Parts: sequence; C-alpha cells; structure tokens
Amino acid sequence: MKDELAKRLVQGLKNSGINFVTYLPETRLSQIIPLIQDDPEMELIAAASEQEAVTIAAGGTLGGKQAAVYMENTGIYVSSYSLLTVGKQLGVPILLVVGYLGGVPDQRNSFLYATIGSHTIPVLQGLGIEYMILEDGDKLEDKIKDAVRAANALRGPFALLFAGEFSL
Amino acid sequence: MIRQECLELLAGKMTDQLVVTSQSGQRIEWSHLSQHEGNLLLGMMGCAVGVGMGLALALPHRKVIVLDSDGSVLLSLFNLATLGNLRPKNLIIYVFDNGVYSGSRISYPTATAGNTDLEAMARGAGIKKALTIRDIETFKNEALRALEQNELAFFVCKVEESLLHREIPRPNTDLAENKYTFVRYLERTEGKPIPFIGRG
Repeated sequence: MKDELAKRLVQGLKNSGINFVTYLPETRLSQIIPLIQDDPEMELIAAASEQEAVTIAAGGTLGGKQAAVYMENTGIYVSSYSLLTVGKQLGVPILLVVGYLGGVPDQRNSFLYATIGSHTIPVLQGLGIEYMILEDGDKLEDKIKDAVRAANALRGPFALLFAGEFSL
Repeated sequence: MIRQECLELLAGKMTDQLVVTSQSGQRIEWSHLSQHEGNLLLGMMGCAVGVGMGLALALPHRKVIVLDSDGSVLLSLFNLATLGNLRPKNLIIYVFDNGVYSGSRISYPTATAGNTDLEAMARGAGIKKALTIRDIETFKNEALRALEQNELAFFVCKVEESLLHREIPRPNTDLAENKYTFVRYLERTEGKPIPFIGRG
C-alpha cells in the first residue's frame, strides 16, 4: 500500500471517531500501525490473538470508546467465537479493519492464500456480519464513516475488507 | 474454601467498581449477591478477561474486577501474555479454580487438576502480582486488600467444587438488558455519553 493511502486510511478512522484500536499485525495494511501508534488521540493495543483483540475492543466500546480491530482475514476465523458472543450476541459495535488476503482482488494472491481468502465472505455471512470490500482509495473516508455508522446502528461488528490497491 | 464465601466477602467491599463475570457458577452466585448496575454478566466462557481488560484501558481511573473460572482462563490463555505486557493497574482478576468443568455435570477435570499451575503461567507471562490463594484468611489479607492498591493482580483462588449455583435463582436479566443497564450506569457515573447508543 502506498504511504499516502495508509495515511488516508488512518485519518479516515480518526475522522469516523475511532480512538481505540486492538490488533495483530499482518502484511497488507501494516503501515497503519506506526501511524496509529504515533497519534496521541488514538490508543493502540497489541493483542496475542484476534479472539482476544475482539474482546478487548468490546470492553473498550462498552467503556465509551469507538473501537476497531485491525487483523488479517485469517483472524476472522480465529475470532469467530468472540465475534459471535460479545459482538453479535451481546450486541457491541466494533469496526473490523481486515487485510483481505487471498481474496480475488488481493494483488499478492497465491496458492498459499487463495483457499483462506475464498472462505472469508461465507464465514462473515454465516456469522451475520455485514461487510464492504475496498479496492482503491475512492471515497475511502466516506466508506469508513459509513462502516462505523453501520456498526453503531447494527449494534455489532462491521467488516471493511481491504484488497486491490491496499494489498500492493 | 468455597467460591460463595469469597464472593460474599468481595460483595461487602463493592462501591463503584465495575465487575465482569464469565459464564459459569460465579456468574449466578454473583448476580444473587449483587444487583449493582456496574455488573456485566457475560454469557460466555473465555471472554471476561478480554472485556475487562478493554474496560480497564478505556477507563483507567475506574477499578475493574473480573470474576473468572479455571476453565475460562484455560480457554483464553493468550490473555496472560497481553496482561503481562500491558499491566493495567486498575484491573484485578479473581480466578475461582475448582479444577473441574462444573458445567459438564460430570465434574470433568480441567488441566489445573493435573499439572497446570495458573499462577506460574501468569508470572511467566509477565504478571508480577500473581498469587494462589488456598484459604479464606489469605483471601481476606491478599485478595481483598488488592482492591485498595493500584496494581494489576491475578489471584488463583483454589476452591472446592460447589454446586450451590444450581440451588439459587439464575439471573433473569437478558444479556442486552444487562449491557444497557451497565452502559447507562457508566454514562451517568462518567458524565459522558457512550458513542454507540446514539439517537433514535
């Protein structure tokens, strides 16, 4: 991802009110980590598992923060239990910022990732989690705002899947 | 030592602390002892420490207490490493370790009934104040005293298996109802709106 796109992504999160980000690093969007870390208005919390990242984000939301979890899409599988329980069952809004590895628009797709990517959307659908796929920076800030508004309105997780230009 | 006597002592110390429970016997027993609006009675295992950690980080001036079980902690051992690095000073975790999965109804043993030592694991993960408690006097002296201190604490309370939670009324508060009561309580006591509630 170009540095400019990473900056716009983080600024878009900020403009949407995101101020509490839990994460496990991955390859596609990792430039956002130092940008969030250096921002005094955003809290960045390293987790040891995406399942944990979702629960910490849920606690942050209940404590008055607007929380996001940054993860690779493999983290959707790892965290499906907490997405379903604290996310859907308890009804806690969480923005999922997901590197969509192995999806068709992933510009670094290979035999290593394709199977993983092909199951992401069916799993999100199975969990009842709405999502949006972003392939370029067109109206990026507006789309992030739409996603945060939807998560709050739905009282649950909403996933932004980043591929295309974001995966370069 | 049984869990109920520890919880009774703890309930007597509650003021404005936030209490998160996981899904097991202590959820039922705690809800019977305390109807405080700052109670968040989660309906699942393995999530209470994470949610408690998030609350503690979001509200660093509030004391957050997690009531958990050995089975739940074993389900989310990654929490120990994160706790050991973040060390939120306002968080206390009480693990009521009875060495069994009571919910199995056959008292199936957990790993702590075997060779696993949660205190040693917590220490190894970087949690400085990790302690195993085996009697009620130590619970009073160590576990309750931690409420007045400003340090992450992780207490493994070795308790006998008790089925008392099957004899008392289960909480009839819906998960969403409990969540909104909890969040409204925070809005009132923190004096600021919780963003996701929003306008209708």
